[in-house]
Amino acid sequence: MTGEYIAFFIFALMAISGAVLMLNLDRVIHMVLSIGLSFIGVAGLFVLLKAEFLAFVQILIYAGAITIMMALGTMMTSQHKEDKKLKRKGHTIFAILGATIIGLILLNGIRTTSWPNEAANLGEDNVIEIGMAMFTKHVIPFELASLLLLVALMGAIVLAKKESDK
Amino acid sequence: MADLLTRPFSWLNLLYISLAAVIMLGIVLFFVTYAIYFERKVIGWIQIRYGPNRVGPKGLLQTVADVFKLLIKEDIIPEKADKALFRIGPMLAYLPAFAVIAVIPYSEKIQFADVNVGILYYAALSSITITGILLGGWASNNKYAIMGGMRSVAQMISYEVPLIMSFLGIVIMTGSLNLIDIVEAQKDSTWFIFPQIIGFITFLIAGNAELNRTPFDLPEAENELVAGYFVEYSGFRFAFYYLTEYVYVFAMASLMTVLFLGGWDAPFGLDFIPGIIWFILKFMLLVFYLFWVRATFPRVKTNQLMGFAWKVLIPVALFNVLLTAVLKILNVY
Repeated sequence: MTGEYIAFFIFALMAISGAVLMLNLDRVIHMVLSIGLSFIGVAGLFVLLKAEFLAFVQILIYAGAITIMMALGTMMTSQHKEDKKLKRKGHTIFAILGATIIGLILLNGIRTTSWPNEAANLGEDNVIEIGMAMFTKHVIPFELASLLLLVALMGAIVLAKKESDK
Repeated sequence: MADLLTRPFSWLNLLYISLAAVIMLGIVLFFVTYAIYFERKVIGWIQIRYGPNRVGPKGLLQTVADVFKLLIKEDIIPEKADKALFRIGPMLAYLPAFAVIAVIPYSEKIQFADVNVGILYYAALSSITITGILLGGWASNNKYAIMGGMRSVAQMISYEVPLIMSFLGIVIMTGSLNLIDIVEAQKDSTWFIFPQIIGFITFLIAGNAELNRTPFDLPEAENELVAGYFVEYSGFRFAFYYLTEYVYVFAMASLMTVLFLGGWDAPFGLDFIPGIIWFILKFMLLVFYLFWVRATFPRVKTNQLMGFAWKVLIPVALFNVLLTAVLKILNVY
């Protein structure tokens, strides 16, 4: 048993339990925090896969988003516990059935794909590799994505401006 | 020391790693204790009064007494608070504050982790602290606490953007996110405070705001919000929030030393003095700067604060990135 093995189990447990808690808790803040646990678990898995850059970007962006979600959740939702939960009988059965089918399809996909035996040299400078790939091979999608973000930003300003003028 | 992490896993190795962390914790706690004393003395000196001088010789044990008082106080959790989150809040705020210290290289030999995305690690983990602060404010179920928490979130997220952008100039110059490589690059050329003076000034201001210290201490403005997000906290939980702030002073001053002042690099070829001494001297200078600013500036208003971040600091930081990139292409560096 190596340290990596133990760490994998801890992070995987964090990722899964965070997601399960997110679905089962009642209050918005609790849900947001548990999804945060899940994000950090995923970031830990990235570290184990030697993708440090991706891991810390994951924490930077998603942990920031957690705080924003918490702030919005506090402002926009009711702070009292809601007792009544919508319950429909058929849902549980369909949910179990759906989850099993998706799981089987994914398992089948993973088992039948032929994985390359050795990963390309990701070890030392994967930040440089990511940068190179992004700004040479994938430069057009990258620019399109930034354009999309810019449009969204301007749209938000226009909408907010309209409301504040009233 | 850094090779501890790359060795295969064994219990002895784990013991060494834990021991290193505990020693570092001891050093940080010692720093915090005497930083508070130093701060009070400096502010006293600037305001022409004595500062603490009663407990121990020259008042040296004042902070020890204060901390002891905090630790033996009753631990109060308000009736209407969200009890579990009220407990998690201070932990979530403190944990990343201590974790960021791991990537900072103090001298050629004293460095804990050689992470090849060191700067990013610092930026990513320090953003988790904001969650801890908002959580504490929310879980207290108190209007002043939640308002302090909200202000803190708005401020820290706004100032994180120019803070991270002010790193970028250095990253462009060295072509690395690794803090150890950045120090090595400064050894070969010059300290980055000279070619990156705009970045340095942006960092000084944004760093001060990130630390929630005067003149940017709106989240805990006593005259408006009683005490901000930790109003309801007492005893050792309050001590943890307080500790978080000062550990970030430690981390931020260390980071600034590494990025802009050449880390353990000796100036004017004074190599016979060990690197760690140079590191401590530069570090102390930056800590003194923080206390100096606190003693001399008035607090800014919320609208000025946000306007300043988005309209002045971010454009300046962006301009610095652009300028550095252009100069890099023209091969000036």
